[in-house]
Amino acid sequence: MKKIVGVAALSFALILGACSSDNAGEKDDSDFPKKNLEFIAPATPGGGWDATARAIQKILKEEDIVDQSMTVINKPGGNGEVGWQYLSKKDAHTMAIDSSLLITNNLLGQSDLTYEEFTPLATLTTEWISVAVKNGSPYETATDLMEQLKKDPASIKIGIAPGLGNNDHLSFVKAAKTFGVDVTKLNFLVYESGGDVMTSLLGGHVDVATMAVSESSEQHLAGKFKIVAISADERLEELPDVPTWKEEGVDMVFPHWRGILGPPDMTEDEIAYWNEAFGEMVETDSWKELLENNGWEDFYQDSTETTEFLKEQKEMYTELIDESGLQK
Amino acid sequence: MGIDVQAILDGFLTTIQPMNLFWIALGGFLGTVVGMLPGLGPATAIALLIPITFGMEPTSALILMAAIYYGAMYGGSRSSILLNTPGDGSAIAATFDGYPMAQKGQAGQALAISAIASLIGGLIAVVGFIVLAKPLASFALRFGPAEYFLLMVFTLSAIVALAKGQMVKGFISMCIGLMISTVGIDLQTGVYRFTMGNVHLSEGIDFLVVIIGIYAVGEVLYNFLSINKPVGEKKSVGKIWITKEQWKRSKWPIIRNGPIGFLIGVLPGAGGAIASMLSYSLEKQVSKHPEEFGEGAIEGLAAPESSNNAAAVGAFIPMLAMGIPGSGTTAVILGAIVMLGLKPGPLLFENNPDMVWTFINSMFIGNLFLVILNIALVGILVKILDTPPRVLYPVIMMLAFIGTYTLGYSTVDFLILIIFGFVGLFMKMLNFPVAPLILAVIVGSDMEQNFRMSLISYPNAIGILTASPITIALVIMTIVSLGLPFLSSWLKKRKAQKNNSEAM
Repeated sequence: MKKIVGVAALSFALILGACSSDNAGEKDDSDFPKKNLEFIAPATPGGGWDATARAIQKILKEEDIVDQSMTVINKPGGNGEVGWQYLSKKDAHTMAIDSSLLITNNLLGQSDLTYEEFTPLATLTTEWISVAVKNGSPYETATDLMEQLKKDPASIKIGIAPGLGNNDHLSFVKAAKTFGVDVTKLNFLVYESGGDVMTSLLGGHVDVATMAVSESSEQHLAGKFKIVAISADERLEELPDVPTWKEEGVDMVFPHWRGILGPPDMTEDEIAYWNEAFGEMVETDSWKELLENNGWEDFYQDSTETTEFLKEQKEMYTELIDESGLQK
Repeated sequence: MGIDVQAILDGFLTTIQPMNLFWIALGGFLGTVVGMLPGLGPATAIALLIPITFGMEPTSALILMAAIYYGAMYGGSRSSILLNTPGDGSAIAATFDGYPMAQKGQAGQALAISAIASLIGGLIAVVGFIVLAKPLASFALRFGPAEYFLLMVFTLSAIVALAKGQMVKGFISMCIGLMISTVGIDLQTGVYRFTMGNVHLSEGIDFLVVIIGIYAVGEVLYNFLSINKPVGEKKSVGKIWITKEQWKRSKWPIIRNGPIGFLIGVLPGAGGAIASMLSYSLEKQVSKHPEEFGEGAIEGLAAPESSNNAAAVGAFIPMLAMGIPGSGTTAVILGAIVMLGLKPGPLLFENNPDMVWTFINSMFIGNLFLVILNIALVGILVKILDTPPRVLYPVIMMLAFIGTYTLGYSTVDFLILIIFGFVGLFMKMLNFPVAPLILAVIVGSDMEQNFRMSLISYPNAIGILTASPITIALVIMTIVSLGLPFLSSWLKKRKAQKNNSEAM
């Protein structure tokens, strides 16, 4: 009996092997990519995702990293959902910008897509998220702020954008939860954009706001409001006086990352091609300049590392969203 | 900031470098063209140009993008006047009297006065920018959720009150608009409303699709009903220059509404649509001939045109002085110049004064260039009126569909476009005012979200109304704007009665 099972298993394996080598033969991966590449920005022209996609396209071309021509196409809608839906039906000559929204859309019940269906190709950048208080605020430090929230979670108006379940929101929830605050009672005012959040903090219409460091650092340096904590693992060069959450006794690092996502079922060779291409791209001067101008940090991870990273991220977001009291 | 004459001169010299003049001219021309086409607004044009600006000097990129923006303000009213199809939210008010003027055979004069009004409004705003940028930036910060909510209530009330004699229809129109604006994800709770499971609807219905549908498609459908009727005598396009009498009537409205548009433009999120509508309703209230408004009163066109161009200039103040985009277009510009390494914000004026002054000077020169360009184009543009409907309407339809697609890259919008085309048709046939509906769609969602946020800040509705001197002023203005039409007709009646009794 055992023997029969063994033979069956062996022949099954052979058939599988034959099938996969068939596929490989058809594709002839040695000359990937062999036609025009499509690069999806899951947003309208003019936004951050679109700008990132176009900048990457320009660098890959100008530095001769990718020979095939590459077109950026815009597929806006549903926090990236439309673009990723489109990607899920394409072949290896297509890729898209992605971010944690790929994970949170699903967890919040807004999408059926999960990252596991795709081929994560790279993580490229991160922005760190800052928490700022208005001028004249009674809370000097992040610890003061959290102590007050612990006493009365609803006593402070917190400005965020552009939606609940977003990074700016969840990073604050995570910090507060780690500190022991009842996060389901927090009072969030949700604005449409980071600019609106900034206006309302400058005008004192909210007490606290969370924003990307790139959005808030100029105002902090000009003394218009005060950043009390950032979500990075260590202090930033441009903001040497601002402590991290860790220094404030809240053990948390929270990146707002962006990466590149490939369609389902890419071959080893195709993945290797992009590992090499993006590995080369992140070393170029024009890439470094792009990061600096936008206030982004290098966060490069290749395909394998990104897959592992997304797994960790999903676990983290699942737990966070479950405990945040968000409506799904 | 203090006014440094030397810095202004340096900026001027940088501006008149041939390359920068070229960018101003190119931007102004592109802006005029996209402004004219329904749906293709400045935000789309600039977004598509971003890859080109990658290699550019940041100041030149900013000059180019700004020229597109205010160029579109000039262009937007062209199609409002000639075809009754505004290219953008801020050009809607130009249809109220601009289109009737064109129908009366004054198309040339309408185009000329709107260019002149735009120029003067723009120049007033540039001067305002130089003198008042910093203090105004901090004044704008005093607008919190309660203030914005009441500003929008005031704007809606002013526009409803315009529909004199049919205020009920105005209210119905506004309510439909407000209902449309509730479609999409609700920011405060993250709940999806009326999206029917469609991903594309989660971000709501784009007001530009509603505008294009109701005006462009609706207008075409309406004309289709009468397409086979024999065409009357060829419409005269009139002179292309305004008369002394017309100038006398529009002079003060233009000068009055420049500063108003500028101040509203400075408020982040308010923008040209609100500015031009408020200016129109203000002019109607103060005019000696309010009955001519809507029938082709030249001041009814001049006032909003001055105002919306001033608002476009004003919108750059929060963007440059605070790094806060005041409108969709400035948000795109902000993103683009950040990519180029500029850091707009409170430190920009200190760190890059040369850039700021070059930019301000470019707006002076740009406005002058645009008025010349637009007046030169009058002769060509009025030919549109001679185009046979069988040629013209298919072209408008095509542009409407292209414009709609560029807004969201989705075919769902086509369906919405057609639906609103029929809505526009029926409203026209039943003589409903469309402006309240459109304005409600534009401001509705912000108005609701600001109201909900104010409820967190203040315990109850009374608290919102009396939150600050600004809110109290806005409440009073709202009551006055709604009450004035009734009051004036009551006074007239009383006077008439008195006269009658005296006669007896």
